[in-house]
Amino acid sequence: MKSFFARFFGALSPAAWVIVALAVGSSIGVALVRATPRRGLQFWIFAVNHEPFYRAVVADWNREHPDKPVQISLVNVTALEQRMMSSFFSGTPIADVLEVERSIVGPAFAGPLPSVGFVDLTDRLRQQDLLERINHPSFSPWTSRGRIFGIPHDVHPVLLAYRADLVEAAGIDMSRIQTWDDYFRMLAPLMKSPGGSGPVDRYLINGWPSDYYTAEMLLLQAGGALFDAHERPTLNSAFNARFIARLATWYTGPHRVARSLDYFSASGHQMMLQGQIVGLLVPDWYAGLILKPEMPGLAGKMKLMPLPAWEPGGRRTSAWGGTMLAIAKSSARQQEAWDFAQFLYLSPTTAVALFRGDGIVSPIKSFWSNPVYDEPDPYFCGQHFGRLFLDQASNVPMRTSSPYNQQALTAFDNCLIDVTAYADRTGRYDPAPLVPEAQRLLDGAQRQIADQIARNVFLTAAP
Amino acid sequence: MKSARPHPAWVPWFFLGPFLLLFAVFFAWPLARAAVLSFEQTYGPGVVVFIGLRNATFLLRDPLFWTAFKNTVIFTVGSLLVQMPAALGLALLLNRPSLKGRHWFRLVFFSPALIGIVFAATLATLVFEKQTGLINYALHSLFHRWDPDFPWLDDYLMTSLILAALWLYAGFNMVYFLAALQNVPAEQIEAASIDGANAWQRFWHVTLPAIRPVGGFIVLLSVAGSFQIFVLPYVMFLRTGGGGPHDRGLTIVMYLYKTGFLAGDLGYASAIGWVLTILLVGIVLLHRRLTRGEEF
Repeated sequence: MKSFFARFFGALSPAAWVIVALAVGSSIGVALVRATPRRGLQFWIFAVNHEPFYRAVVADWNREHPDKPVQISLVNVTALEQRMMSSFFSGTPIADVLEVERSIVGPAFAGPLPSVGFVDLTDRLRQQDLLERINHPSFSPWTSRGRIFGIPHDVHPVLLAYRADLVEAAGIDMSRIQTWDDYFRMLAPLMKSPGGSGPVDRYLINGWPSDYYTAEMLLLQAGGALFDAHERPTLNSAFNARFIARLATWYTGPHRVARSLDYFSASGHQMMLQGQIVGLLVPDWYAGLILKPEMPGLAGKMKLMPLPAWEPGGRRTSAWGGTMLAIAKSSARQQEAWDFAQFLYLSPTTAVALFRGDGIVSPIKSFWSNPVYDEPDPYFCGQHFGRLFLDQASNVPMRTSSPYNQQALTAFDNCLIDVTAYADRTGRYDPAPLVPEAQRLLDGAQRQIADQIARNVFLTAAP
Repeated sequence: MKSARPHPAWVPWFFLGPFLLLFAVFFAWPLARAAVLSFEQTYGPGVVVFIGLRNATFLLRDPLFWTAFKNTVIFTVGSLLVQMPAALGLALLLNRPSLKGRHWFRLVFFSPALIGIVFAATLATLVFEKQTGLINYALHSLFHRWDPDFPWLDDYLMTSLILAALWLYAGFNMVYFLAALQNVPAEQIEAASIDGANAWQRFWHVTLPAIRPVGGFIVLLSVAGSFQIFVLPYVMFLRTGGGGPHDRGLTIVMYLYKTGFLAGDLGYASAIGWVLTILLVGIVLLHRRLTRGEEF
């Protein structure tokens, strides 16, 4: 026996045995660690700022429904995307209720309709009259092939935030501005170079050719679209070609009015603070979550106004971003989840908390008369911040839920980049001569996206 | 001297077992499964339709794949052209016994390889930022005509990616070169000196041939690594969808990831993966052919 142990342990050096012992010990240790038990309905959110008041709402729910407790978890948006798609593909665990951001929802709609991992809420919404109570365009990003898969969290109308101190010091009356042409013409004196010589150091609007956020906002405002109501690509419409040709002239040439300002970086914030940009396209969440807390130096210097229209009488707003509350089809507690979803999203308390905390206006139309939206905001020179956004809420454009939207948007933006480069190459800085090139490029982009969609047997086979 | 006892027969299998198991589960089986998947269209593993060669034929005319391929080749060639001379230069410098503090410099140059790629990529993003980024700030301070809004991460994605990779990997490759340089026989260099060879001739005719096998090995590693690059551009260009404006930063593996793991089309992603595998095998075979007879 002794010789067996001696031979066994002698087969390896002491150091090798230490490694083996560590490997075995750590494996046992990991196996023994117990995961936190999942208790009740699981609710995943990704927005850090929403967490404090969502926790309060969940606490209220848990007090009222001790038999149906809800457990809230904050999950990074990229992790949420991965876990959501893994769950839909392979049945890995996921929350019963989850908040999903627009930029990550597309792939969830890429398969056959019965394979969409969210519960189809269309009939429930209709039965409870929620299709009427909630702002209609807010459903569009969550609607695939005519079915609605989430309760909208927001409207996210877009306004123009501008440096009121600079504009008013120059004696410019912003109330006379109706169109983008008015805006650029009236504010032109603000574009100046230091000491009157050298390069211009101030521009009138944020935006640059590869900025697809701004391109999408402006396209939707103008009335263009990348997909039609049946989610068929419409990149190469004549309207889109004219739009790109016109937008390219904002970004280059002698009539350039825009400059690159990163929405989320220190450099972008610094440029705003230094007055290098006069106007910024802002949705409610950006005003509440980025502008006010991250650029406090602009308090009392900024004002909001509806976006100047592309044509007289045109739309004065757009939309950027969006979140829905969805119920996972894999949930064994779908009715409970639906009850909780209504408790959370249809509550005036949540609506007020979302506005006060993050500046987000509610999509529930009956809440729009709440006086909280009429409170003057010192950051915006005492303007009624909430009311200004709500005045445009019903005018926000419809948006697509196509799983190919991101690809289409990238392809569209690539055309804008190329048209801008073409303008520089040829010295053509008026929209009209740029339209044929824009149309040619958009035709190529349309073919590329149509090819991608045609390859998807699940979508092409869909009714 | 005590002679080593022969190990029992099970010992090699004891150590090989975990590897063989993991290799079979995580490499051999997925590789075979991916070959089957490349003939299917999927929406996750649960929804599968056999489509024959449609993935392969689409791939041949898919502009995004070719953009990713072109970008990957540009990155690979650019990295090689910049990294190899830089790594060799650093190694030559630090191989000089007369250089004071060379141990410290070795650590400094190697240290980027010690930090996580995600962290390095995040730092690189800040360095290439407009206005506040270190590079634009420094260049604008030195040359006032330099535009502080220079769009590194919009229009010069590959340049910024190659520079970030240079910072991250040059020190790592330097260590290989340094080890090779320290193995160059001193007597050969001395003999060349006695024969009248100047520094350049000694380097070109003695040192370089001696470290050639190591150089070939580093080139092979760099090319294989460059073709698989993913995390660095993914994090650096995250704000612009991972591929950057005009898909200038889209690489083959990033396209594979987006197709398979975000769009759920595992079939097409498998087809892309197989093309990448074939490319890498081809590169290895080419390398073997070119370096036949050289030992490392």
